[in-house]
Amino acid sequence: MDLLRRFALGEADAFETLVRQFQGEIYAWIVRIVRDPGIAEDLTVETLWRIYRARHQFRLDGNFAAWARRIATNLALDHLRRKRPEQSVLAEPAGAPQPDRLLQRETREMIQQAFRRLPAKLQIAATLALVEEQPYDEIADALGTSVGAVKLRVFRAVRILRKHLNHLGVRT
Amino acid sequence: MTEHLRAEHEARQIREALQQAFPPVNTELRRDLCPAVLRKLEAHPVRVPWYDWVLIGLSTSVFLFFPQLIPVFAYHL
Repeated sequence: MDLLRRFALGEADAFETLVRQFQGEIYAWIVRIVRDPGIAEDLTVETLWRIYRARHQFRLDGNFAAWARRIATNLALDHLRRKRPEQSVLAEPAGAPQPDRLLQRETREMIQQAFRRLPAKLQIAATLALVEEQPYDEIADALGTSVGAVKLRVFRAVRILRKHLNHLGVRT
Repeated sequence: MTEHLRAEHEARQIREALQQAFPPVNTELRRDLCPAVLRKLEAHPVRVPWYDWVLIGLSTSVFLFFPQLIPVFAYHL
């Protein structure tokens, strides 16, 4: 009996094999969205747990990785919705900052701030498409929508960001 | 400049700004998460929701009191 069938039947060994096989891929997807390794690890554990709970819903002719990515994306989306917009995720290098570096940091922080003010759905689409340059069909699959809808979300994110950045006086 | 070209130019500028603001993240998993997943599974065993038990109870009662419904139900399965 193949691995996915055994997993769907609830065999613990099969699930453990799948966890070891896919945990890296799921983590990589989540960390690209949330950009924090600790949070990404927690969300990966949560995703794998939900995968086990939803094993009866998995279609044996379906793509396990794509299904897992969709569950992971929903969890990441919930996380972004809960997260406070002013939280910063950038780690700064140690030492006293130089004036031009200070200016760069200020600009970066303003861009991040403007980005965090976007609705979570737009944030995810823009992060994956513009920052991570993931294929649109993969993003659409993970968000459970069409490629056209993802493109529209990215377009809207760009427009809103442009407006926010202009308002903050940031020239890109 | 047409609207389409302007939108493309704008997207390119925003993409560059975002890539500068969000440096690349390390996508390599630092540790094996399997033990944590198994611990979570043990701590939160999968339970049958209460409404499923109610549904099972109702179905059983209906079939006990009206056994003639069993073939009708079986036909529609």
